Amino acid sequence: MTIDATMVGRSYTAAGSYQVGREKIREFADAIGDGNPAYRGADPIAPPTFAFVIGSRALEELLGDAELGLRLDRIVHGAQKFSYTRPIKAGDEIAATATITTVRKAGPVEVIMYETALTTVDGEPIATSTSTLSHNRADT
Amino acid sequence: MSLAGTELPPLTVTFKRDDLVRYAGASGDFNSIHWSDRMAAALGLPGVIAHGMLTMASAVRVVTDWLDDPADLVEYGVRFTKPVVVPDDDKGANVTFSATVGKVADGLAEIDITAVAGEEKVLGRAKAVVRVR
Repeated sequence: MTIDATMVGRSYTAAGSYQVGREKIREFADAIGDGNPAYRGADPIAPPTFAFVIGSRALEELLGDAELGLRLDRIVHGAQKFSYTRPIKAGDEIAATATITTVRKAGPVEVIMYETALTTVDGEPIATSTSTLSHNRADT
Repeated sequence: MSLAGTELPPLTVTFKRDDLVRYAGASGDFNSIHWSDRMAAALGLPGVIAHGMLTMASAVRVVTDWLDDPADLVEYGVRFTKPVVVPDDDKGANVTFSATVGKVADGLAEIDITAVAGEEKVLGRAKAVVRVR
């Protein structure tokens, strides 16, 4: 099967919650070359784009939906946006749910938008990630 | 004091292959186009390219370095317009980020960010919204 507009609204929740550790935050900050002290020490917050790392666990579930027929090696990340209610911080236990919001087709290319809600496991909102992917079904 | 029109201190970063490998490990994005010339070529790319999310993470440093507290970032979005090709050498690829404060209203400031590698803009419509006091 292939993805189409009837699949807008499908939701995918990451398997298990994500426990944010301060050493993981520091490792991520180091990997993006960001020495900001807010990302270090006993009680750090995470760099803004760390939200994508947590959200990608919900994306994995979306990509795993065989009915959509998506392949990672045919996907290009076209656009990305985050809205923050508050920063992610060490000690957070985060649930991620991705929902397909738009599907547009142009020949073999499918433009897919999905929104990923990051909340604490108690339901407190943290951030929303909006992603645009292009999936190309043409054989190159 | 008017913030609108303020230019933030620019930032140039260099991505080398080991930076991409480090980002792959830290982010969990092991897509082979970010480390294998063979796989990048098979997909028609000019070479191994940086993770778009690494470029996005670097770009917002211009904003969070300028803020007293990065927690004041409310919104941040980009379009990935051109890939950043990272050669397998000691020089890597340079990307220069700059940013200007635009509209300021209701305690929020919009900041427009540009990202240039070589002669090309690698991000489009890159914008942050931050709380200002």
